[in-house]
Amino acid sequence: MINAIKLHLQGIKSALAVRMAYRADFFISILIMLAVEAFMPLVTYLIYKNGASLPGWNMYEALLIQGVFMLSRGISFPFFFGMVWNTIQRVQEGTFDLLLIKPKSVLQMLIVTGFDSEDLGKLIGGIVLFTVSLVNIPFPGLGLWLKFIVLFFVSLVVMFGFGLILSGFGIVWIGNFRVYEIFFSIANFGMYPANIFSKAVVTFITAIIPVAMLGFVPASQLLGRPAEGTLIAVVSSIVFLFVSLLFWKAMFRRYNSAGG
Amino acid sequence: MIINVENLVKTFKSYERGNTLKEVAVSLFVRKTKLVEAVKGISFSIDKGELVGFLGPNGAGKSTTLKVLTGILFPTSGKVDILGYTPWKDRKKYVARIGAVFGQKSQLLWDIPPLDAFNLNKAIYSIPDSNFNKKLNYMVELLGVENLVKKPTRLLSLGERMKCEFIMAMLHSPEIVFLDEPTIGLDVIAKEKIREFILEMNKQGVTFILTTHDLGDIEQLAKRVIVINHGEMIFDNTIDALKSHLGTKKLVSITTQAPIPPLEIPGVLVKNKLSDYNAELELDVNIMELNQFIDYINKNSTINDMTLQELPIEEVIKKLYTI
Repeated sequence: MINAIKLHLQGIKSALAVRMAYRADFFISILIMLAVEAFMPLVTYLIYKNGASLPGWNMYEALLIQGVFMLSRGISFPFFFGMVWNTIQRVQEGTFDLLLIKPKSVLQMLIVTGFDSEDLGKLIGGIVLFTVSLVNIPFPGLGLWLKFIVLFFVSLVVMFGFGLILSGFGIVWIGNFRVYEIFFSIANFGMYPANIFSKAVVTFITAIIPVAMLGFVPASQLLGRPAEGTLIAVVSSIVFLFVSLLFWKAMFRRYNSAGG
Repeated sequence: MIINVENLVKTFKSYERGNTLKEVAVSLFVRKTKLVEAVKGISFSIDKGELVGFLGPNGAGKSTTLKVLTGILFPTSGKVDILGYTPWKDRKKYVARIGAVFGQKSQLLWDIPPLDAFNLNKAIYSIPDSNFNKKLNYMVELLGVENLVKKPTRLLSLGERMKCEFIMAMLHSPEIVFLDEPTIGLDVIAKEKIREFILEMNKQGVTFILTTHDLGDIEQLAKRVIVINHGEMIFDNTIDALKSHLGTKKLVSITTQAPIPPLEIPGVLVKNKLSDYNAELELDVNIMELNQFIDYINKNSTINDMTLQELPIEEVIKKLYTI
């Protein structure tokens, strides 16, 4: 365990060193990331400023949901979601093989060598948005915080599942960065209160592919208005992780029985 | 015996795409599959401390064999036992004890100094500090790269980078090291340095398996040569045996006083007749002994000058590849 942590820290250190080799690029890419991420909350802000609203949620509540959504990606994208581009790039370049000659699990190596400092912009944005929304609503009690932390952790589990699925596609679909679009087109459902969607969509995003877990479910818990089907979403998140892992392993087996 | 390979077979499924637009368009929906037999039942074994060269033309199955031996690929069938492991089954435990250098794929990190990449390997292999420092200092000195390991990798020349690749691959003191075209594109001096390094590590007991197209690598490093062609092993013996594999032929160049007598005799193949007094030929000493040949020439003319050479290894290899 200690060795694993040491290894991840070393991976982060190397990745930071790589990005910082070009100083201007390092800061600019974090800033651009921050600007891109600020777009959705800005739209929400404009909607509310113009008198419209998401039914049943005031502006800061809506922003809190988006803050949690951004925070969840702000942690997963730099720290483990890099396995996706890392896989796509390595398979395309033929350097995926080099991970197989290291005495660690290939998945761990993909994560260690896939740290993405650029996405720290998402983390910064998430922290800012989350904090700003939080100070503008009644401060939640300890009980709500504890439930929120558990659900937020589950949101990272869902992100990990997505990472596995996209990385699995990256092994067999050579050089296809479009896999990110699959993710975003589904994941963005998690950034809005579920009650704005139809019943079928709500069932889909809580019980089947639990993207509601990425923002809405943990945030509504923190707001003291727990979402319907929270427990189902937790169970389906764990099932989702398990299925993703099986999928990744199957794709990996295809790789080393067929060759790159 | 630390490596034992029995009847290794690897078959790939590949898809035929065609080359006209129509064929490509059709292949988007219906693909013809074709089975490619990359390796067709190779068997060999290697002892500890050996330095074995793998030769073969492009696409002969060398890299596939090497990928199976390093645990990257599953074979279709066959048995492989290396250091008591089956590479693709006990991959993690197994690869901790081997190293690999790929001439065309870098394990270093492009934008940061090799030293940072070494440190990443230190964490991956959990190498203790003292071992790491000792091994690193030793290899850095042996390869003469003291001033380079702290420079960003992208600023290093190919030769300098290759030396660092070797350090990267050997920091964890592997017992067997696989080298896939390690001297590709290097200048004479860098090649020399790397060959010296390989020989020195081999002297210390490290087993090396190397694939190359550089026959200099084979002549200077390998004591044993395995030649693979069309997925089959067509030769496995010492380098001297390789040279005499296709008959004991010698390259002879003669200059005579009187015109050279007719050379259309058994055992002699004229390669280049420069003039009536001067010729280069290939002599098969199994058919015509050298003294017989000299007698024959001297009887009809007088030898002024004569040089005698082994057939260059390139010629031998060329003949093997075209079989």
